[in-house]
Amino acid sequence: MKPHPATTAVPLCQLRPGTSGRVCVLQGDDDFCQRVREMGFGESTLVTKVSGNTTILCQVNGTRIALSHGAAQNILVAEIAGSH
Amino acid sequence: MAQPSPNAAPAGSAAAHRQPVYALVGNPNCGKSTLFNALTGLKQKVGNYPGVTVEKKMGTTYSQHGQPITVIDLPGAYSLAARSPDEAVTRDVLLGRRADTPPPDRILCIVDATNLERNLYLVHQILDLGRPVILVLNMMDLAAQAGLNLRVGRLEKSLGIPVIACEAVNGNGLVELRLAMSRADLPLARHAWDVPAPIAPAVSELAASLRENDGKLPLSARAEALLLLTDQDSVRVAGSAALSPRTAEILFAWQKRWEGEGMDWAGALVGSRYEAIGELASEVVLQTGAFGPTASDRIDAVVTHAVWGWLVLGVVMTALFLCIFTLAQPPMEWIGDHTALLANWVKSSMPAGDLRDLITDGALGGVGSVVTFLPQILILFFFIGLLESTGYMARAAFIMDRLMSRVGLNGKSFIPLLSSYACAIPGIMATRTIEDAKDRLVTILVAPLMSCSARLPVYLLMIAALLPNDRVSLGTKVGIMLLMYALGTVGAFGFAWLFKRTLLKGAPPLMIMELPPYRLPRIKDVCLHMVERAWIFLRRAGTVILGISIVLWFLTAYPKAPAGATPTAQLAQSFAGRAGHLLEPAIKPLGFDWQIGIGLITSFAAREVFVSTMGVVFNAETHDENTTPLRDALKAARWPDGRMLFTPLVCLTLMVFYVFAMQCMSTLAVVRRETNGWKWPAFQTLYMTGTAWILSFVVYQAGRALGF
Repeated sequence: MKPHPATTAVPLCQLRPGTSGRVCVLQGDDDFCQRVREMGFGESTLVTKVSGNTTILCQVNGTRIALSHGAAQNILVAEIAGSH
Repeated sequence: MAQPSPNAAPAGSAAAHRQPVYALVGNPNCGKSTLFNALTGLKQKVGNYPGVTVEKKMGTTYSQHGQPITVIDLPGAYSLAARSPDEAVTRDVLLGRRADTPPPDRILCIVDATNLERNLYLVHQILDLGRPVILVLNMMDLAAQAGLNLRVGRLEKSLGIPVIACEAVNGNGLVELRLAMSRADLPLARHAWDVPAPIAPAVSELAASLRENDGKLPLSARAEALLLLTDQDSVRVAGSAALSPRTAEILFAWQKRWEGEGMDWAGALVGSRYEAIGELASEVVLQTGAFGPTASDRIDAVVTHAVWGWLVLGVVMTALFLCIFTLAQPPMEWIGDHTALLANWVKSSMPAGDLRDLITDGALGGVGSVVTFLPQILILFFFIGLLESTGYMARAAFIMDRLMSRVGLNGKSFIPLLSSYACAIPGIMATRTIEDAKDRLVTILVAPLMSCSARLPVYLLMIAALLPNDRVSLGTKVGIMLLMYALGTVGAFGFAWLFKRTLLKGAPPLMIMELPPYRLPRIKDVCLHMVERAWIFLRRAGTVILGISIVLWFLTAYPKAPAGATPTAQLAQSFAGRAGHLLEPAIKPLGFDWQIGIGLITSFAAREVFVSTMGVVFNAETHDENTTPLRDALKAARWPDGRMLFTPLVCLTLMVFYVFAMQCMSTLAVVRRETNGWKWPAFQTLYMTGTAWILSFVVYQAGRALGF
């Protein structure tokens, strides 16, 4: 559940393509957080960034999800070391 | 205060006699439409839910014993806590809140087997509703390819409801599904789920109040209570009733208390549901193979690539427009010819008189001009259906998102804007998947600026008049045409930017969009989709245009000129002609005279009417639809002082005017329905036509100053 103390959380848009991370904090308004959680993107979910740095593409639970830059900035992930 | 909810109708006598009603629900992209088509075939009724532009699809299927069963195909949703008008309809139908739709007796939940956990979230909410549910695990073939082994029996046992493994695309599992649907009794779900302890008392208190004060059924009251806590009811659609004061009071008191304690109740509810689902999924899903890059991943590497992606999109768009403008030509001519034949037949078989003119010039002329665009609309929808069913459409929206975000919209606005190149009506209808109300409104406001196919005849006539000698190359003509399309597109983006910064200020768009795996398109489904859309277009545009055509005919036919007057003289002194004279001072600075003014007035019904009106004004004696004589007639037109009326500059100015002016009653009617009032259509007319006037003024006056 909790992010590893050694890793710092970065917005999903800053994760390097090909690396994975665990969602640790969701920012933004209630509506946004609710929808992100309902789409299976809640805290502790494993995310793999596929491509992009403005509009980004990622893989969550076997699904491809596109996020606009603003949305990706609101999702903070802890990078999993060595996942590259 | 308590209103009898449609839910509360006695379930006994009436329900026993009427057909059982199944609601089909699932996440977007889980194969719901394919299953619906497979179950109901051509026995579908497509309409709209009153008050919202959300498509209502109902169909009939038959049980194993040949008994008819009604199936309602609900819009795809991720959650019952609705975020868009689409999802609100799904929520309201399932909860029996809509008086216009029978509350479903049973629910068919379809899930994508490759992504069970996420899909089960909606199922989990639906199991709370206290109705019998059949769970359909679709795309079992893809799950197997992804190395997933699903223990269907285990899932069935855990949930206590029938679970059917299925591949809707090739019909596997349909027999088993039909068998399950035919069962006289279905068990209710064994649905063990613990609401987080701090929230549980609120749920029971709200459920009790919903039963007593809001007339909810005991079985669904708990689900309604849970929904109240996760759904801020941000999306209310027509037909859903407000909460009773007592329930609202209880809800508010709890929310205040939790806020004081710093608790995120909505998040806690979602989290506990996912926990329960996670446990279930870990029992049911066995990962046997390793995840390697799938075919979809390999295609995506090219199609969503920062450079190649644009190239692919460009090729697809070019192909789309080439098809719309070339393939559609012969059938459009065929329709035009046959409308003319029909009108001639009416003319020859009826005695001359107002009734005959009403039918030929009013009804047939007006409706015929709209039906002419049917081939283009069909091709557009075939393409859009193809792009959607292969999964490419979501990628196009992904690629466009970056560009769209520059003007404050997100990628989801791309599809409505693209459709608007054919016709703004389907474009505006396609905005219903945009969650954010402001983004949706901005998209609706700018969609009619995309040059629709109704502008095409106007552009063609003006280009013909603008470049009188046939020696001008085709390239120049196409170039001018493309310039007009570009002008409209730039205008749409410019105004979107402006509106998002001033009138409809909103946070930067947050788009979360699932990209479905690529699939081979199912041509049958694509054609079905195309026919449905075309029918809606015909019905809507046909009825509105028919009414307005008749009114316009009246305005051009009355008051009557003395007997023996030419049609041109008749038009000059008709109501429309007088209005044209009245309008002249306003349009003279644009280089237009009162005769063009008549065209501007009549083409308020639909832009292409301008061409036929010019035919009546300048070329009435021959009644020839062919543009070549009309072009010559336009060349011969003069101002009273002998100056040429249709100078190249005036033609160009007219085109610019038509790029921007809001000249389409059908679009306004759709916008009114979509925005629930006349405020936004009125604003749209003002800003578009205002811009058209200003830009035409600038073009004409600058052109004059430069000596053209």
